[in-house]
Amino acid sequence: MFGYAGKILFVDLSTRLIKTIPTDKYAADFLGGRGIATKIAYDLIPPDADALDPENVLVMMTGPLTGVAPSSSRIDIVSLSPVTNLLGGSSAGGDFGAALKFAGYDGIVITGRSKEPTCIRIIDDEVTFHDAEACWEYDVYDTVDCVKKLGREDVQVACIGKAGANLVKTAGISFSKRNLAARGGLGAVMGSKNLKAIAVAGTKGVKVRDTKRLMEVNFEIQKRIRESPAFKKYENWHANIALSLLKARRPYFGDYEEDYWEEAEEAVRNAKRFFEEMATLRPNSCFSCPLRCWAWVEYKDEEAPMVACQGTFPAILFILKIKDPELAWKVYLRLQREGMDIMGTAAVIAYASRLGLVKLGTEDILWLIDEIVNREGPGNVLAEGVKRASEHFGVPAVYVKGGMESWSSDVRPFRGVALAGAVSESGSISRAIHGFPASSYYTKPEKAKKVAREIVGDESAAEPTNYKGKAKLVAYFENEHIIADSLGVCDTPMLSIPLELWAEAFTAATGIEMSPEKLHFYAEKIRTLERMFNVRRGVNREEDTLSPRLFESVIRSGPWKGVKLDREKFERMKDEYYKLRGWDERGIPTEETLRKYELEW
Amino acid sequence: MPYLIVHEDKCIGCRTCEMVCSLSHEGVVNPDLSRIHVLGYKGEKFPIMCLQCEDAPCELVCPMEAIHMQGGIRIVDDEKCIRCKMCTLVCPIGGVLYDYINHQMIRCDLCGGDPQCVKYCPMNVIELVPDDAVPEARKRGVRILYGEAD
Repeated sequence: MFGYAGKILFVDLSTRLIKTIPTDKYAADFLGGRGIATKIAYDLIPPDADALDPENVLVMMTGPLTGVAPSSSRIDIVSLSPVTNLLGGSSAGGDFGAALKFAGYDGIVITGRSKEPTCIRIIDDEVTFHDAEACWEYDVYDTVDCVKKLGREDVQVACIGKAGANLVKTAGISFSKRNLAARGGLGAVMGSKNLKAIAVAGTKGVKVRDTKRLMEVNFEIQKRIRESPAFKKYENWHANIALSLLKARRPYFGDYEEDYWEEAEEAVRNAKRFFEEMATLRPNSCFSCPLRCWAWVEYKDEEAPMVACQGTFPAILFILKIKDPELAWKVYLRLQREGMDIMGTAAVIAYASRLGLVKLGTEDILWLIDEIVNREGPGNVLAEGVKRASEHFGVPAVYVKGGMESWSSDVRPFRGVALAGAVSESGSISRAIHGFPASSYYTKPEKAKKVAREIVGDESAAEPTNYKGKAKLVAYFENEHIIADSLGVCDTPMLSIPLELWAEAFTAATGIEMSPEKLHFYAEKIRTLERMFNVRRGVNREEDTLSPRLFESVIRSGPWKGVKLDREKFERMKDEYYKLRGWDERGIPTEETLRKYELEW
Repeated sequence: MPYLIVHEDKCIGCRTCEMVCSLSHEGVVNPDLSRIHVLGYKGEKFPIMCLQCEDAPCELVCPMEAIHMQGGIRIVDDEKCIRCKMCTLVCPIGGVLYDYINHQMIRCDLCGGDPQCVKYCPMNVIELVPDDAVPEARKRGVRILYGEAD
């Protein structure tokens, strides 16, 4: 096979049996990455399994472009999420995906549960198990260093920190020391399988069909990325992202407080000064990407790699209401080292402040993080995530589909974001709304309107509070994200480059003819399969919703004063969305749709 | 004679050079077969390749006298080479490599005058300069190192 590595590695931890199957079996039907991972999860996970059962399956899949095209370093992870008990998915950049392909595997499928803590090491065809008893409670940094001592220094490591080992529901899977497949609590799945780390190094490489053409397309894609106006801004992205989120009127404060946080601007200014004057930054990139969206940050005696584009640092500032950048940095270090989803954990801590367990903006936050990681005191309940904690304490919380903590945007004024949070299969809004015109409506109005005009045919669809056209925008951007995750391309550069070029890169790498239309067909097919996975677990229209508090609260001050989310209009957006997807009014794919995409229950 | 100069302060460690080097020479993407390698410690990254030394240790150590300069590029005579890999041991920067798939010694050949890494590097870290410009380019590196950037 060209473009693909050619085989998928299956590791059963219960029996320690290892086998490989050819990627050919799935590639023509499900493209790669997220598509194939969803198919394997659909086939292997029993509909009545629980996320932390040994029957759950953890699938890590790279795409056909991973490692061979610019900005293509992604690996997609799909499993049953312990947060929502529905399909969970998250993806990560870094060098792990490329290294896995160079070792000769398109993906790893992990089944069963190991009796003792273990670590899997993959060096080309050699797959070995190593005892991880001693490092079971290590944090991510120590784990990575520890695994590297097993032999080759250049291995890439996917691992969990102490939070994952303690089955904390906001634990992610960390790739080396910086990239995190954060959402959905997939770190807890790894922890439940007694799997501490996967290390991989490869020397085989990936064959491509048409070297000359691929190099030409790669050059063209890279040139367009480098010539885009945003490219220069990436150098100072760490200092400016919080400000741009504030300008876009996107952040929410504390536990979705109705009142605007007056000191937000001061916090943003402090953070800007922190990155520009106090800390030293060394910009870096993931494999084959020119964007340098992460940097190695050093401040006083501590250092950590920090990815800017996902807004993890702004989430700490806004959700935890921290004005002091030094404290925000300390919180960041703690969460990063434990391998935790920063947005999710911040939302949990903000909820704890509503209960009076912690005062936001103070050092107490660090104490509460430790309580959650170690599952001690109130931390034991909070570690179950916001929804289960709210059921325990009887105080209503804010969450999106299935109990997943919200993403960096305020959901209430952004109707499209609210819809995406409700219909998304994994509850992870970040898998749907990047590139959404409403997100940049106040920072780049012309561009936002243009996007809305092209997709919906109506400029007003770009307005955040307008319900009109949002269903179509959500469906469109979901497709784009599925294409990115399935090809193995990072969605940030992917959305700014015409889809034709990515299709051409695919054709050059694999020798299979591809077009933007065909890619969108694949995306719709994969989306339907994701839906089928959840419908099989009992999801229908009622589950496609947000926490009741989001419909009941009215924003009292700030730029969104007086805005509330209307339940009736929200339900109408859902109808519109189901129709676009070819699902009936209960949200179940119709027979006709299944026939169109050749899918079966 | 042109040389490759590395502006190590600009490198972002994306390894695009490794990708295009192996693609253009071997027709596969395989960083292990790339003649240029990005080394790094924490945030500091920079690429390393054969720098075409004047009194090259690889040439001096070769028991078969298989390594010699041809048109400004040091090449290995495949017929003479016995794959003892002594050259990889003595190279001070690790610029000589062994291709374990085709079983031959490989190193940067400046792509015959149009280096692909120079063309593809998004940050313009690698530069092809004529030999009389080398000292100037090196001095620039030192100036940046000691905070005297132009």
